[in-house]
Amino acid sequence: MTSSTLIASYLWKDTWKRWFEQPSSPLARLFVTGLLVLVATAILVVFNLLERSLRERLERFGLNTVLIRESVTPDSKELITSGQGPDRLAPLSESGRKLRLRQLFVRGQTEWQNSVIVFTYPGDALWLLSDYLSLETPSIYFSDSLPEDALVKVTVNRQSMVAQVRRPEGWLRPMVTDDILIVPQGTLLDEERLGFIETTVFQRNPDAMPVAKIVSAVNALYVTDRRTPAQVQSSLGLIREWEQLKERQAQWRNILAGILGLSLSLVYGAIAILEFRQNLYVSALLRSFGAPPRYLYFRHLLENALLANLAGLCAIAALAFLHGIIFGTLGFSKVVLDLRAGNPYLSPETLVILCWVNIGAFLSSLPVAFGLRQPVGSILN
Amino acid sequence: MNPTTSDSHLTDQGKSGALSCSQVFYRYLPEQPWVINQFTHSFPPGIILIKGASGCGKSTLLRLLAGYLVPNAGVITTPFDGAPTEREYQRRHLGFVFQQLNLLPLATVMRNLALAGSLAGLSSHEINERAQKWLQLLGIEAFAARLPKSLSGGQQQRATIARALVKEPAVLLLDEPTSGLDDLNTRVISRALRDYVTGDRICIISSHDARLEPIAHDILDFNRFLPVERHLEALV
Repeated sequence: MTSSTLIASYLWKDTWKRWFEQPSSPLARLFVTGLLVLVATAILVVFNLLERSLRERLERFGLNTVLIRESVTPDSKELITSGQGPDRLAPLSESGRKLRLRQLFVRGQTEWQNSVIVFTYPGDALWLLSDYLSLETPSIYFSDSLPEDALVKVTVNRQSMVAQVRRPEGWLRPMVTDDILIVPQGTLLDEERLGFIETTVFQRNPDAMPVAKIVSAVNALYVTDRRTPAQVQSSLGLIREWEQLKERQAQWRNILAGILGLSLSLVYGAIAILEFRQNLYVSALLRSFGAPPRYLYFRHLLENALLANLAGLCAIAALAFLHGIIFGTLGFSKVVLDLRAGNPYLSPETLVILCWVNIGAFLSSLPVAFGLRQPVGSILN
Repeated sequence: MNPTTSDSHLTDQGKSGALSCSQVFYRYLPEQPWVINQFTHSFPPGIILIKGASGCGKSTLLRLLAGYLVPNAGVITTPFDGAPTEREYQRRHLGFVFQQLNLLPLATVMRNLALAGSLAGLSSHEINERAQKWLQLLGIEAFAARLPKSLSGGQQQRATIARALVKEPAVLLLDEPTSGLDDLNTRVISRALRDYVTGDRICIISSHDARLEPIAHDILDFNRFLPVERHLEALV
């Protein structure tokens, strides 16, 4: 056998004996690393899921869509049930397509859903809804769960109607967060008299003014008319939220990396110093035969790196295994949790965590490197 | 402090093949007095016994000659005209027996010898052949497969010497090799050393064991290098 094989074999035996005699040493390192990596990975995965959740909301909402809601109460002059009231947002039609609906203050029931949101559409909106309407019925039932094109019976205040199930796709997607029923205006006259929320879905043309300007213009319009400001929803808020999240994620990544590297260096370094003092004699003896100190240094480096990576990978694997359970409990939707759409455990962030684990393992071996510079003659008697 | 000196009747000083010290100073800590003070000497081939009181610097000198300590000043030259700190010298040409038993605790006696021989660049065949020879000469061949902890003190000491001899080094340094050993063990070790040290080989033994004096070609009294005020202490 070559000298390197003999030395490696002896050092492995020595390491194994030390682990066996003092299991607290490797276990402490495994536990500390595993815990730190688990926490760091969990935080980064939460950020990843939040980002994905926002992206999903953004995709669903659409970058060019603006949703304007204004309450019309029963005592309001604007409560006109036969036909439409004045449309203040009419100028928007020049910049894109606009659908004006009324969300009633009543809810409908189906066999499967007890609280269906009810909207009514005016006659002039027929061409905008033509993609969703059928010859069987003028009512549309937007649902993600019921079979498409199925006819469902919906009851609103003991008045029943049949609606055809449609998927809420395209530009109307932002207004659909749950199952909704859309019926022609006049179908539920009594319910309309109770008041409604005037809802305008606007989709900007690509060459029109920016969404931010449109939002400002709408807000200014309500101020000029001295009316209660309408609720204006656009992708701007989501984009701002997304940017803030990414900024926070970057900050956290740096903080976590620093904490991880430093903690591991300190813990491993302290253990390495203690163990090196115990093993000083064997190391000095091997050096007295002419064994290169780098062998002895690499033993410590390899041992630390092995334990750190083992613990780190196991922690990441455990978190990935329990991904659905842990993050599902935290309230993330199934779509966001689906690893097929992007696996955060194989992302560069996870690699960064493992890099810091290895940097920590390397830093912790530096005291050993300094210790190995001590002359053999001052150790052995 | 004492002037330097050399003391040899075996070979001429400065002759190639000697292990020599020139103006060597050494102390363990800066605030402490010199342990080795302006020491100049040439160790020729043969067995040289260094005698002296405890603490006079015998063991420190051996470690300096082995390159395990580095002199604060002065030069030590090996028979190969290099510094003793050279790894090649330590691996191939130097054998060292420490005062304490320094066998690798988790390796068998044979594996201890094999590791030393292997680092010296010997082939497996050479290692086996030489290990058999020295284990036999030192009377411990029956313990080749045993771990050090299962051997007696004398057997461990002989195993340590066998480990130093397996690479058949040009320079063999032994620090108190027979301290605490009975006459039989001392005789076995003396015989092995006498058989080994032939030709250009240098063997330096640091010991105050008078039983080793008969095998020495030269005796260096290290008390002579002690400061005057410590002479009385040494005599006592």
